[in-house]
Amino acid sequence: MAASGAGVPMRREVLQLYRSLLRVARQFCDYNIREYSKRRTMDAFRDNKNLRDPSQLSAAFSHGKAQLEVAKRQSLLYSLYPPKVKSIMDF
Amino acid sequence: RAQVAALIGASPKEIVFTSGATESNNISIKGVMHFYKDKKRHVITTQTEHKCVLDSCRHLQQEGFEVTYLPVGSDGLIDLDRLRKEIRPDTGLISVMAVNNEIGVVQPVEAIGQICKEFNVPFHTDAAQALGKIKVDVEKWNVSLMSLSGHKIYGPKGVGALYMRRRPRIRVEPQMNGGGQERGIRSGTVPTPLVVGMGAACELAMKEMEYDEKRIKGLQERLLNGIREKIDGVLVNGSMDRRYVGNLNLSFAYVEGESLLMGLKEVAVSSGSACTSASLEPSYVLRALGVDEDMAHTSIRFGIGRFTTEEEIDRAVELTVKQVEKLREMSPLYEMVKEGIDIKQIQWAQH
Repeated sequence: MAASGAGVPMRREVLQLYRSLLRVARQFCDYNIREYSKRRTMDAFRDNKNLRDPSQLSAAFSHGKAQLEVAKRQSLLYSLYPPKVKSIMDF
Repeated sequence: RAQVAALIGASPKEIVFTSGATESNNISIKGVMHFYKDKKRHVITTQTEHKCVLDSCRHLQQEGFEVTYLPVGSDGLIDLDRLRKEIRPDTGLISVMAVNNEIGVVQPVEAIGQICKEFNVPFHTDAAQALGKIKVDVEKWNVSLMSLSGHKIYGPKGVGALYMRRRPRIRVEPQMNGGGQERGIRSGTVPTPLVVGMGAACELAMKEMEYDEKRIKGLQERLLNGIREKIDGVLVNGSMDRRYVGNLNLSFAYVEGESLLMGLKEVAVSSGSACTSASLEPSYVLRALGVDEDMAHTSIRFGIGRFTTEEEIDRAVELTVKQVEKLREMSPLYEMVKEGIDIKQIQWAQH
């Protein structure tokens, strides 16, 4: 069930992936995990912004898609058992 | 298994899964000494080791072995020359932890490894706090045994590993007897979900180590500078150069640690470590550093990790400064200091 690295992603697809990752990140109930997901996504996309080599581009894109799957699964699981007390930082 | 091995530069055949670093430490210390008990009767370790190491050594002492506890300097590092002097022909094991859990100091493990190679003594290191945070290489460090912990690298609790060198082979007497799992070293069904979790955590740690370290270093500086800007009398316990960036152990003069902790209810800090939380005594690690009794009582340990945010650091600074100022306001000792009285000269009257 691995995401296929077929072909180099287009700019539109990359932006779509970026937005999806941030959207899922916002759904985490836990403050720390939410902030980490947002921050890590932004930093990773920023660091890879100047990639030009096609194999590197498609590898990074597949990695991003795999992470999106992980994030979707986990945010669903965590929301099934939300913590009773919110973090102090959420107030 | 391969994921764990890759993170420390070992072969998968050299990894044994256990229930945690505590068990790995027990196997290393008691296992090695029991195996070689006819010829080797001496163990060298440090005064700042984790409780499980010190407790295992005490157990060995009760059985008749001899243990030397090396003192540390005020920066938390051991004296290598002193180590050389303590090695005897019947020394069976030298155990020094790589990163201290309370003060975050990184011991000179490479140099210690060289000394152990020179004298042909097995070197065990408790790398529970070091794994995934600093570069761990069993070849460069010349370790024979290394204890690893799953939950310290954001893996599941209840799993750990023990690295055991194959060339030259180190032998241990197993502490868990039974069906012979894990090459006979640790019997008992291997907990698959926990082990998979630990492997995944190790792989992630390898990828994220550089990114995490850079970020955490910035956060540590932000925390320390933020606090130092607002209040004085703040001491960092342990060497500032050789330390892991995610651990900051501070002493605030004229303030008591436990009361500061009670005031810092929203911040996850500790005065000491989890294994010493039951007692109100100041931690033995700080005492080994030679910190004055009054400063040892006021120490607080801040832990910064992969998930710590800048806002949390700022909030922690704000809360800490507020609490310290409040406590100092109430403290008669602080009043005396402000008036210029030297506290050390006071003769305390008996009631």
